[in-house]
Amino acid sequence: MTVTDSALARRNPTVKFALLFAVSVALLFVFDPFTSAALYVIALVAVIASSGIRPRALLLGHLPFVGVAVGLVLVNALSRPGVEVVRFGVLRVTEEGLEVGAALGLRTLVIGVLSLGFIVSTDGVRLMTSLHEHARLGLRVTYAVLAGYRTLEELPREWQLIRHAHAVRAGVDRRGRPRGGLGAFGRAAFALLVVSLRRAERLAIALESRGLGLSPRTTWRPVALTATDGVFAAGVIAVVGGVITASAAFGALRGAEVLAG
Amino acid sequence: MWKRLTLKDLVLVAVLGTVLGFLYWALVQAWTALSVLMGPAGDLAQHFLLGGWLIVAPIAVAIVRKPFVGVIAEILASIVEVVFLGSAVGPLLIVAAAIQGAGSELPFALTRYRRFGWAVYALSGLCGAGFVFFYSAFRSGWYGQDLFLLRLVVQLVSGIVLGGLLAKVVVDGLAKTGVVDNFAIGRELARKG
Amino acid sequence: MLSIEAVTVAFTRRRDPVLRDVCLDLAPGEQVLVLGSSGAGKSTLLQLVSGVIPHSVVATVDGTVTVGGVDTRDTTVVELSRTVGLLAQDPASGVCLPTVEEEVALPLENRAVDPAAISGRIDTALAAAGVGHLRERRTARLSGGEGQRVSLAAALVAEPAVLLLDEPTSMLDSAGVAAVRSAIASSVARYAPAVILVEHRLDEFAGRAGLDALPGRSIVLDAAGAVAADGPTREVLSVHGRDLIAAGCWLPLESELDAVFGGRSGAAPSHTGLSSPGVRAGLLEFAGATEIASPVLAATELAAPVLAATGLAVSRERRPRRTREPRRPRRGRDARPEPFAPVLAGVDLEVRPGEIVALLGANGAGKSTLLLTLAGLLPPAAGTVVGARPGMVFQNPEHQFVAHTVAGEIGFGLAPGPATDALVARLLDDHGLAHLAQQHPHRLSGGEKRRVSVAAMLAHGRAVLLADEPTFALDRRATIGVTSALRAAATDGTAVVFSSHDLRTVATLADRAVVIAEGGVVADGPVFDVLRDASALESASIELPALVEWLLQNAGSDAGVRRALLRLDEQVPADRPAVGQTAAVPSTVAS
Repeated sequence: MTVTDSALARRNPTVKFALLFAVSVALLFVFDPFTSAALYVIALVAVIASSGIRPRALLLGHLPFVGVAVGLVLVNALSRPGVEVVRFGVLRVTEEGLEVGAALGLRTLVIGVLSLGFIVSTDGVRLMTSLHEHARLGLRVTYAVLAGYRTLEELPREWQLIRHAHAVRAGVDRRGRPRGGLGAFGRAAFALLVVSLRRAERLAIALESRGLGLSPRTTWRPVALTATDGVFAAGVIAVVGGVITASAAFGALRGAEVLAG
Repeated sequence: MWKRLTLKDLVLVAVLGTVLGFLYWALVQAWTALSVLMGPAGDLAQHFLLGGWLIVAPIAVAIVRKPFVGVIAEILASIVEVVFLGSAVGPLLIVAAAIQGAGSELPFALTRYRRFGWAVYALSGLCGAGFVFFYSAFRSGWYGQDLFLLRLVVQLVSGIVLGGLLAKVVVDGLAKTGVVDNFAIGRELARKG
Repeated sequence: MLSIEAVTVAFTRRRDPVLRDVCLDLAPGEQVLVLGSSGAGKSTLLQLVSGVIPHSVVATVDGTVTVGGVDTRDTTVVELSRTVGLLAQDPASGVCLPTVEEEVALPLENRAVDPAAISGRIDTALAAAGVGHLRERRTARLSGGEGQRVSLAAALVAEPAVLLLDEPTSMLDSAGVAAVRSAIASSVARYAPAVILVEHRLDEFAGRAGLDALPGRSIVLDAAGAVAADGPTREVLSVHGRDLIAAGCWLPLESELDAVFGGRSGAAPSHTGLSSPGVRAGLLEFAGATEIASPVLAATELAAPVLAATGLAVSRERRPRRTREPRRPRRGRDARPEPFAPVLAGVDLEVRPGEIVALLGANGAGKSTLLLTLAGLLPPAAGTVVGARPGMVFQNPEHQFVAHTVAGEIGFGLAPGPATDALVARLLDDHGLAHLAQQHPHRLSGGEKRRVSVAAMLAHGRAVLLADEPTFALDRRATIGVTSALRAAATDGTAVVFSSHDLRTVATLADRAVVIAEGGVVADGPVFDVLRDASALESASIELPALVEWLLQNAGSDAGVRRALLRLDEQVPADRPAVGQTAAVPSTVAS
């Protein structure tokens, strides 16, 4: 597959997914910048060490959630009541705002970098197979998601075709280019829905006529779940738990009460 | 009342989620340009389109007309996004999706999946946006911000228009094309003649 | 094995049943070919056997269908799949999983095949379909024809006792058709399944082996969905050949020729096709029939071109502008753009008013990309395209549809007013769509959809009309409807450029042919000169159909070839006449 081999890539996808989920939920209740900053540094090092991600991919992968993080810092700094730090005309930056903003921004970075490690080390199809095997995800749901993925792979090409097919009859602007606009987007979007739903029906018939849902069934290439995965999970939980405990011990940890000011 | 979802239903719902997710993404790309221009208020601009993210649930419910379809539609859409598009939001997106799916489905469930008028769709958009708002507000720390109320109003209106009324336009259009003839909506319309 | 007893199938939204009182018994290992015009219920018959009707598609079914002793109503499509393998229409779009090997493994996993045995069976099935080399390919990167063959492998791999094949060759070029035929033949030889085959490219499917390559038994469904004949294929085709031609079916060449010429000399039908003296004499008579005008073009050579490409290179890759693909970091290396190499380069092409140009080339040679570039929808990778803004008709008409009625579709993009209303009314009439004006475009049959898409583009009165495979997947009547419409447009002065891999249609319609292969134009000239250029056809792996080949050698003149082909098309009456509907076929063809 296109996922390159690494220590993280060899771990069970369901375990990785569950850990990512658990850490994300735990962080929902952390509202101080120090805990998140510590976790971000640890997560960054761990992902680089275990996934073999190339530095360029790591940086590019950061772009979307760094953007979100910066937005969170800005909007909180500017829109939260509290002690004023600086003022630009009508805009004022508050201490409380900066602190909450930084906490939320850093939390986004932690989840982002962990997601990145998950994504580069996990094949989506193996994850779905593993969720079926190890998390009792229903067979029909598993294959419905895979059918969704197949559709996703075809969408850019299909979308382009439809936009072209519609552009031929569209009016042209002064530079001779087909006019776009929201109406054109809507018509193309509807056409995309129609052809995709036709495809969905064919996919469902194909899956059923190939016997999906017969029992018993076998799995050609099962996903491994080993003792190492258990050690891995215990390790991650210990580190995250340790950081939060330590942060609480030093008095840095803050919860959602900071939102109320 | 309880009807099992068939593979056909599930595939339809997954494909709907994928396609609408793709279109929402395409729309957001265009919108992002605008929100960058708005500077710090750009964070607010995102709310205008939020309703577009809700639209899959009412459409799926109206076509399949079985319990939990709206919630499942949102969850499958978010799984495709998290697992295959690598959304940076991470698996928490699935939680948000389940919450808004439940909100969107609630008004239809209250009519026992029998009424599909403009009002029910509008309520669906309103509840979807409303439910998920309080979750997002907690996650993104909107509580205590000066903008709190403005955010709420913008999201609710967006929910009603894009996540409710627009869904009815789409569903009625799809019913006319015949692509959903073999689902509950098609049987219902054929029965009515 | 399989028994259909007095079955009538009706869809809720259609007044008349699709299948009427159909009876069919199939013994283990028996093969049957289903013949009938489009809309006669051939696919419905297959859906009935696979259980898709009534379990997945809503329909009322009277009578009983039993497969392997089980009533299909009392079971499910999934349970029936233990016995029945289905290759549905447009199989490429039924590919469900991201890689080829997973796709082919799925039916085996579902039947609890020992995992250790699966890999070997994947290899065998793929090799039988002629796509062994694609095993590790991502399915998103398959061409339509490759996808179709992978689907065939997935239908064959579990060795179902009943094999249902719904147009297994629709997307394939001649090499692909041969591979599919041999894959089916080898399955039949290996484990003797019962086969029901629906195929409308029968001449290509049969290949040079003729009728012997087809299933031994045939049934004919008439327009009302009733079984009009059931018997040995040779006998059915010889007795019902004329009716099938009149119904708009494609037939194997020898059956078509025997049906057209068989009774003429008073002798019994000869079943020998092109080798029969009677058929040869008949074809030569058609070729010499001077009473119909032969529209082979000569005079327009002098007119100024309306579209000219100079030094053109085309490619689908372009600078990301409005619609970029979603980021897929997961796919790492895969997502990297390959080094830039245009599909075609150095293309010089001029198109003149009233000229019909056929664009020929193998699957994947770049025909569609060239058309999109000529249409101004893709920027040229190099060189220039000069001329008026062309119109374009796409391969799948559904991609073009924007309106909720046929009339609205044809009038789309035109300024509203009495002039537009009159134009729409005229086009509806000309294209045999008047009775469908208020229908939803998506609810039409394949042939009707195609005519709507052509009419809607012609409404814009562009000087050039580009068409991507305009006769793709149509039955013969619909094909003739489309070629007539294109010819009528050319007669009115429109330049027409169309791509096709059906050389009989090309020889019937085009004035000029352009062959693309090996990244450029390998031949460009009068159509019959190009069709005689064996090396050009070979470089594009295009095989000349036996009929066209014979006519080119024997018809005496190019005009004669054209006349003979047009006369053969005349054997198919114009579209089913509806009340108040004018003929769909323009006067150049209708005698």
